[in-house]
Formats: sequence, structure tokens, C-alpha cells
Amino acid sequence: MAHAELLTPTGLGDLPAALAGMTQRSRLLAGGTDLVNAMRRDECRPDLIVDLSGVRELAGVRREDGVLRVGAMTTFSQLQVDPVVRQYAACLAEAAAQVGSTQIRNIATIGGNVANASPCGDSIPALMALDACVTVLDGDGRTSSRPIRDVVVGPGATSLSTGEVIIDFTFAPLRPHERSVFVKIGSRSAVTVARLSAAVVVECNPAAGTLSAARVALGAVGDTAFRDAAVEASLEGRPANEATAQRFAEACANAVCASIPGRHSLPYKQHAAVGLAYDAWNGLAVSPTCEPVWD
Amino acid sequence: MRLTFTVNGRRRGIEVPATTRLIDVLRVHLGMTDTKEGCSEGECGACTVILDGKAVNSCLVLAPQVNGRDVLTVEGLAGDAELTVLQAKFIEHGAIQCGYCTPGMLMSAKALLLHDPDPSETEIRMALAGNICRCTGYTAIVEAVQDAARAGVEQNGPR
Amino acid sequence: MQELRAVGQTYPIHDATEKVTGDLVFGSDLRLPGMMCAKLLLSPFAHALVKSVDAAAAEALHGVVGVFSHLNAPQTPYCRSRLVPGEPLCVEDETLFAATARFVGDRVAAVVAADRETAAEALRLIEVDYEPLPPVLTAKAALAAGATPIHDGGNLVYEYDRELGVALPSRPDTLSTVTTVATQKLHHAALEPHVCLADYDRSGTLTIWTPSQGVYGVRTVVADLLGLSYSRVRVIKVPVGGSFGGKQEFILEPVTAFLALRTGRPVRLTLDREQCIVATTTRPATTSTMRTVVDSDGMLLDVEVDTVLDAGAYSGSSPEYALMMAHKLTRLYRAPHYRHRGRAVYTTTPVAGGFRGWGAPETVTSVEIHLDHVARRLRMDPVELRLRNLVSPGDIDPATGMSLGDARIRQCLESGAQAFGWSRRFSRVVETGRLRRGVGVACGGHYNGLLGEASSESSTMTLKMNEDGSVDLNASLHEVGCGSGTAMRIIIAEELGVDWERITTREADSEATPYDIGCYASRMIYVCGAGARATAAELKERLVQAASRLLDLPAASLRVGPGRVEVADEPGHGLTYAEIVRGIRVRDGHDMIVTHTYCNRSNPGSYSAQFAEVEVDVLTGLVRVTDFLAIADVGRAINRGMVEGQYRGAVQMGIGYALCEEVALDDQGRPRPGGFKNYHLVNAPDMPDVAVLLVEHEGDEGPYGAKSVGEIATVPTAAAVINALNDALGTSITTLPATPERVLAAIAELDSAGQRQTRSARRGPTCD
Repeated sequence: MAHAELLTPTGLGDLPAALAGMTQRSRLLAGGTDLVNAMRRDECRPDLIVDLSGVRELAGVRREDGVLRVGAMTTFSQLQVDPVVRQYAACLAEAAAQVGSTQIRNIATIGGNVANASPCGDSIPALMALDACVTVLDGDGRTSSRPIRDVVVGPGATSLSTGEVIIDFTFAPLRPHERSVFVKIGSRSAVTVARLSAAVVVECNPAAGTLSAARVALGAVGDTAFRDAAVEASLEGRPANEATAQRFAEACANAVCASIPGRHSLPYKQHAAVGLAYDAWNGLAVSPTCEPVWD
Repeated sequence: MRLTFTVNGRRRGIEVPATTRLIDVLRVHLGMTDTKEGCSEGECGACTVILDGKAVNSCLVLAPQVNGRDVLTVEGLAGDAELTVLQAKFIEHGAIQCGYCTPGMLMSAKALLLHDPDPSETEIRMALAGNICRCTGYTAIVEAVQDAARAGVEQNGPR
Repeated sequence: MQELRAVGQTYPIHDATEKVTGDLVFGSDLRLPGMMCAKLLLSPFAHALVKSVDAAAAEALHGVVGVFSHLNAPQTPYCRSRLVPGEPLCVEDETLFAATARFVGDRVAAVVAADRETAAEALRLIEVDYEPLPPVLTAKAALAAGATPIHDGGNLVYEYDRELGVALPSRPDTLSTVTTVATQKLHHAALEPHVCLADYDRSGTLTIWTPSQGVYGVRTVVADLLGLSYSRVRVIKVPVGGSFGGKQEFILEPVTAFLALRTGRPVRLTLDREQCIVATTTRPATTSTMRTVVDSDGMLLDVEVDTVLDAGAYSGSSPEYALMMAHKLTRLYRAPHYRHRGRAVYTTTPVAGGFRGWGAPETVTSVEIHLDHVARRLRMDPVELRLRNLVSPGDIDPATGMSLGDARIRQCLESGAQAFGWSRRFSRVVETGRLRRGVGVACGGHYNGLLGEASSESSTMTLKMNEDGSVDLNASLHEVGCGSGTAMRIIIAEELGVDWERITTREADSEATPYDIGCYASRMIYVCGAGARATAAELKERLVQAASRLLDLPAASLRVGPGRVEVADEPGHGLTYAEIVRGIRVRDGHDMIVTHTYCNRSNPGSYSAQFAEVEVDVLTGLVRVTDFLAIADVGRAINRGMVEGQYRGAVQMGIGYALCEEVALDDQGRPRPGGFKNYHLVNAPDMPDVAVLLVEHEGDEGPYGAKSVGEIATVPTAAAVINALNDALGTSITTLPATPERVLAAIAELDSAGQRQTRSARRGPTCD
């Protein structure tokens, strides 16, 4: 592949200087699974590659001040098994577990997945359902925090400027009565790009016997993953029964339909969305009394 | 860039372009052709090697990502010794036909057994989900891995 | 079954150790001193004049040795599938580089450079001026009046109309059924991408290293194309990382040889996966409309088929392939009258070529889906309907006039139905939930060699024994990863009574190994294996004669024991093979070596009955194969474990054919970007357990009764899966692959027509 300069910052302290040297052609190297393919296919010819593997501070999951902080260089394998993520952000662990193959998960990072901003990216709906914020560092050493929906703005497009890098994702851990799930439908059961995906977080109130505070993000339809208010409303204040599941499924189908008008895949995705919704519903595993069916 | 890393237990230091893929570091720069290229996009798993104890597609990893790290390829499984139990089980169970997927399969299986010495059949199949075989229909490969796990010596290294 | 010592055990493939250590040197692992790297520039247009190719900037790049296109390469047309001079049905319509690009992927130019990066950079610098022409993307469009001609002479490559038997007068109590089944282009998806090395040295010898199924065919095409003497073209077969027919035609060898000749340097040409998918060969897309007439008992009275085969941009093997589709039905079923019309048609799409089964999967998919349809209309069990029409041992194949031999398909079907629990599963209560199961059956038949297609068939082999009793087979073997080399060793081991590990075989080398046409038409076991046995038998006779001289005893008083020749009633009195060889060398100055040409005289059918169970998710359209049974009429397994392994791999391929594999093109004739990213194969989590049962009746002339395995194994698979799918849903899906979209569309069509029937209404009594 064509020649490129390489910078390997050795820590967060060195990183801004490296970022400041980036041009529009430059690229960040996280896990590399998207970048290497793009370079091989001649879709980009970076003048400079900033290799993030030396910035140890970017990997890992921490819980601090009541907030979960997931480093951008955390691999999907790490997310898949991290006990904090599994307990307090299950939909993210589930999304991580369904990214590609073992080989891909061992090296691909959540930061890279978001920055690549594929409409089918598995981590993005999960982060949206968690109301995650994205911490961005620039070449002047300044950090800012933006909601994920303001970062992923189009197919393959983020609002990041040249010389900006995602350093972590923050979100509130799920509360005791919140349950979450991530599901996807591809063309086979394992190692598949999503054709449809959904991340759901919902609060179950055993006292009232109803669901509330639903956060639902749909992926692989539309230009980016998105939260859907109508789908969320279909669960609000409802008991966890078959009738609600059906409303939820219909709302998902409608949301899919509205997101890809005229697209060739619409008839399929609209129908399959019902299956997706039921998979999510079953994955949430709440009984009609809003107790978890299993833990 | 100056790439310094350990491959099959041996420390190597070579000068390569920063955009060199690990598979080319191995096959072209080090002349180690035991790792195979099947698809160049991380879908077939033929190029699987073990990087710091984890299975990765060497066709998608760049040289900078390997600096200072530890790579294990098929040739490093047994080294100069006889075959490892895993390799012997592959032979015994008929898990090899054309042999092109074999190095990658072995490395994925080895990586699995390093972390999980007693995997279920489902876990084996999931661990191998990123390794395509067009000849065997996978059954003999899965059985070989199961048998190797039972033999229980993978965690302790080669015979 | 005869008691055998070596044949029928389970052996690892003979080069297993080299494969598990990564030591085996494949084509892309080979290095020659001074080797250059070649890369191809492929057309981005489905149809375009290549008006100009400006290579100046590319040629000026440091490290570039040459850039070639139709402007500076011979325009002599050739046929990529020609095996022998004068072979019929070979249309010469392909050139090294296209002056008119006829598909996305057609060769427009080649770069030879010092390394891959330089070659890739040079490719980017080549400026090609294309004048786009109208693409013609389907066979139907190509045949339409006024269609753009893709070659001079129009778009019909080949056509036939064969009639066997006599049409019976029509009767009132018969059922006429018509189905149209469409099958898709497939990628072989051998894990090893295509590669070729060539070197033209100062002595004027061109050497080609290639993972080919036929080195002599490579020689024929390349030598004729470049005007070289056959004895100056040496073709060496290197290990094959899977082929399935994808490496049986001569795709890279002509251009690589030309590049070596022109540059005077050793050249290696490799294709990446995307190029392999589009720029080698595919299984042809076919459409077959079948009309049958059956009587009320389900007996076939009349079969009429019209097949259109999409040959793609060049004819390649398509004329023969199309014709072979008409030869596969009579392997399986008897019918008083059978008419098959076939047309192979050019389109501006990837070139169709040889693919495992060679027309049998395409034809069988069509007939087996059709028969299930007939069974439903007759309310008859699908197994029973087939049993009424399948061929029996000793039947003559009207297509070739040759006996089908010990055709055990009935036994396969009956024992399979029993083992699978067919009646119980087929009559299970209809499921109405989200997940629905169904079962399907399909039968397939295939060949054992070229006889019938070709008027003669033989294989020449040389076998020699060394002074230590070890044995070397010198034959043009074309091992493609399915253990044919292993099988030869086992057969020779059995015949000679030696340990299989004391036998070596080698790969084909046109300079060094005697003539064999190659790995085609499932002839390796039946013809080459029989040849190996006959050659070993001749060597054994030679050993007895030599022992007779050394012991000074009449040969009639001697017999062969394991690894020795001894006096018949005095076993202690004799000589080991090693002693015999050493003895005659020293005493007579003779070598223990024989060369034998085995002439094959028969071509029986190999058969398989296959049973599938699927589970369909009616919300997502995803289909899982949950159970699979293959019954194999193998005659006699030479290497038992390998037979089972081949069947399982073949079923993986057939499931992909049925459900998810397709070389799909957009409305500009472009394939989907990416290689395996978008061409999905069945992976380990989705692969069902496949039970394989063998029927070993030893009734034919193959070695120890063995028949072919590798191709027949995949012939009925797709049909069994589709039949199971239609059983689960009550649909009539006839277009492959049955993607989730097609599954949901078929369900919707049923629902809207209000035609969903209960399973018992759909079927009549079951077969017991």
C-alpha cells in the first residue's frame, strides 16, 4: 500500500501534538479493521497515520463519579466480557459480542467503530440507547463532550474535524430496574453485517407493573442509527405483555418504513423489523409483573 | 518504521513501511509463508495469527500495531518439536483436505484453548465462525478441537 | 463385501503433516530468483470498446518491467477450456487482453513489476479510454430480437435439441405439470485464490507452475496460443488449495505465460478474492422449464425440458456444460420419452465455467423441485414418487448408450428414508408459529469419467519399486485437496500388500509424468484409481516372475504374501520384495519398473439421496438447516473418512447454493464490492450436523468396486434444502438462492392468494 508517515504518541500527553499535524488526508489508526481495508481498496491514501496503540489511557472501562467511561481503544472482545459493562450496560456488551468474528472483535475498537460511522455499525445504536456522550480531544489539547447523535451525522460521516479524536464514551450506568438488550438481523447467524439492529433500554416498575423510560435506537436503516420517539412511546406506561409486544413490533415496523422510503430493501426490512422487535422483546426478558424472567 | 517484535518466540527487528500489513511482514519480509492469504479483508480467517494471546486477522493488522508485541504463527506451534496435540488431532480426525484454511483454523483453535480449555461445541463453532472452510463442512475440525481440549495439554504448550 | 486390508480404512490426507505445519508450498508461497509480480487491470464496464490504453506513466515508474494490453499483445483467439487439440465444442472467442471489454472483470491490461506495491501503483497510472456499449445482462435479454451482439455471430453460443425415446400418444388420465427453476451464478470460493507462475528461460523452454486440474490442457492451450512446441512448454502442477472446478480451465496460464515470454523474467500473477469472484469462472446461471406428464401412479411418461444457460462473456466450457445438463436426467430417471432443448447464451457478465457437478446440480435442482411439485399435485409421498421412476442397476443410459452399472439409487433412497425417519417427519403436524420446520428429499446421479462424452479414455502410469521395497508412482495426478493422491497409495498398498506409507505419489508435470487428461468428470478414482490398481498388478506379476528366476522355481508354484513372494506350500521359503529388487538388479541388471496404460471401458452412475430438515423464521425469512442426511452409493470407500469429509464439504456448498450464495450484479453488470464480505458462505455456527451413510455394493469396475464421490456429493443438496423449505411453508419457491427476501415474498404470495393449506391437505398418504 502507498507510503505514509507514522506517528505513535506514547500517551495522552503526546496525543494533541500528533493530532495537530493531521491533514484532511491523515488517518487515525485504532483497531485498523476499517482503515486497512479502505487503504487496500484505494479508498484513502493517508499522508500521515497517527497510531493510537501507544496511548494506554484510551483503553479500558472505568466507573467514576457515578458515570461509566468506556475508552475509545477498548476492543469489542474486552467490552464483551467486561463485568461492569455486562452489568450496567448490557446492550453494549451484547452489541460488542455480535461484531464480526472473534478475530475482528479482538482488535476492532469501539472508537473506531463510531468514527467509521457505518449505518450498520453495531455499537452505535447501543450507545444511542444509553444516551452516551462522546469525549473528543483536539490538537490544542482541549476536550469536549457531545451527545452521540451529534457525532454520527451521516453514512460514514461524523462531525469530527481534522485532528480530532474520540477518547471515550460516557453514560449513566443502568439503574436497578432498567433492562437492556441489543439484537441484530443479518444474512447469517454469526459474522454478519447488520441488515437491521436495535438497542433497547427500558425501566420496569414492579410496583406499577409497567414499562417506562424506554430508549430505543434502530440501526442499519436510514443514514445513521436513530432513536425513535414513537417506538419508545409504544412501551411507555404499558404492561409487559403480548399486547405491548405487538404494539412495539408494529411501531418498529413503522419506524423502519419511515426511515427508508423508496429503498429497495424496504419491503423486506419492514417485515423483518417485526422479527427484530420480538427478538428484542424476548431478550429483555421481563415478565408481565415487570420482574426479570431471569438475571 | 523500525518494527521490533517477537515472532514464534524469536525477537525480530526489521525496517518496514508503516503501512505494511502484518501478513506481509510475515510472508514477504520474514519469508514465513505458513500464514496464508485468502480474502485480504478479514472475512475468511485463513491469515489468522495470535497477537499477544488473541486471534487476529493478520491481513487487517498494520506493522505499528505489532511493535513490541508477541506474534505466534502456525510454524511456532510446535517449533522444532513434533507436532502439538492440536495438530495431531487435526490429522487424526481428518480435519484437513486442501489444507489452505488449516493454518488459520489451528491458530483460532489454539487461541480458544489458551483461554478456555474446556469449550462446548457451540463455543468452538463460534470461535471458528471467522474461519471459512470450503472442503470439510467443519465437523472434523470441530471434533479435532474437542478432542484436543479433552487431551488437556494445550494450556501447557506443545508436547 | 470383500475383506480388504488397506482399502476402506480411514486415512489422513497424505500431505497432512505439511499442511498442519504450514510447510506445504502453494503457488503464492513459491519464490523464484528474479521473480516479478504481475497484476491485472480489469474492465469496470460490462461492455465497452477499449479505445486506447496509455501506459506511459505506468511504464516510467521505477520497478515496472512492462505494461501490456491488446495494443501490444497477440490478438489470437483461444478457448480456455480446450484440453486436447481438435476438441469439439470449443469456441475460440477469448483473447489475452480485450479490445472490446465484455464484462466487468474482463482483462484490459497487465503490469509486470518488481513487487506488488509497484504493480498496484502502476495500475493506477494506466489511463484507459473506454467507449461504453450497451450491457446485456441476462440470457433473456441476449436472446431478444434486436439485442446487442456481444460477439460476431450473435449471442447464441451453442444450441441443441435432443430427443430420446418416442412420444406416447396423449391419454386422459394423466397429469401434466410445468415448473420453471432458475439457478444463480456461484463462486467456487476455494480458500486459495488463483495464482500462476511462468518463466521463459534462455533455452527456450517455458515453465508454468499452476494449481491446475489439467497440466496437459494448459500445455495445449498455451503452446498453441504462443506458437511453441509442446515439448518446450513444461507445466508443473503445484498444490491446490481447493478448486471445485474453478482451476480446471486455463484462465491465468495463457496471460502469465505471455508475460514471462515477453519480459524474459519469471512472473507470478495473483488475483485477489474480488477478482477471483468476478474474473475467473462462475457456476452458470440457468433457467430450466420442465414439463412432465405422469400417469395416475406417478410414472413418468414424458419429460420435456428447455434450458437456457448463461455462458457469460466468453464461451469457455459452456457449450459442453449446457449439453451435459441434458445428460444428467437420464442418469436418474427412466422415461419413455425425453426431449431436452438447450441453449448457451452470451451475456456481458462473468464467464461461466466448470463447477463441481458440471450441470448435474443445475439439472437435478430443476427436476427434484419439479418432482416435489408433481408429488404435491398427486398427493403422493415424494419418496414414493421417486421410487416409481428411478433407474435400477444395469439400466442403459439412453443419453450415452452405456450401462449405468450398479446404480444403487433406489437403495440409497429407501435406506435413507428409513434412517431419516422420513414418514414420521413428513407427516408431522403443521407448525403455525414463527419458526416452522419442514423436510425435503432429493436424488442425484453423476458420472465416473469421460467415457460417453469422449470416445476413449485412458491413463498411463509408471510404478517402480526401490531396492528397499518402497514404491514410487509416477503418474499425472491432479490432487486438488480431496485425497486422490492418498487414494492411489491406498489402492497400490492393497494390491501389492505393502504399507501405504511406503508408497509415494507425485504431482503432474508434463515433462516428467506420463499422460493423463486430468481431474475432470469424476474420473480420479474410477479411471486413475483403476489404472493404479492395474499398474500395481502388473508390477506384482513382474515381482513373481523375478522371484521365480531368483529362486529357480516355476512361477506357478509361487504366491504373493504381504510384502513378499513365497512358495505356495512353504511360506517360509521365499523372498521379500526388497530382496527381489536387489536380486534382479545385481544379477540381471533389470529394474523393477512397469508402465501401464489403463483403458477405461465403462461409465456407471454414482448416486446420492439426500434428506434435509430446515427451520424457517417466517418473520425474518432466515432459514436454518437443522438436520441433514446423505446416503452415498460409493461402490466401495477407498478412504472412508475422506468420503465422509467430502460429503460434508459438498453439503456446505449445496446449502449455500440453496440459500445464500450468489455472484450478484447490479443493473450495470457490476458485482457487489468486497469479496467474502458480501458473498456469504455457510460458516461453522450455521453448518448442521451431516450424517453420511455409505452404500457399498462393489458392483462396478472401479478399483475394488469404488466409484466417484467428489461431485455427486453436492448434486442433490440444494434441491433437498429447497424442497424442505417449500414443505415447511407450503410455498413453491423455484428461484435460487432462497434469500430471506424471496422467502418472505413467497409467504406473502401464498397469504394473499389465500392458498395456505394444511400439511395434510397438501400431501396424501406417506410412504412406509
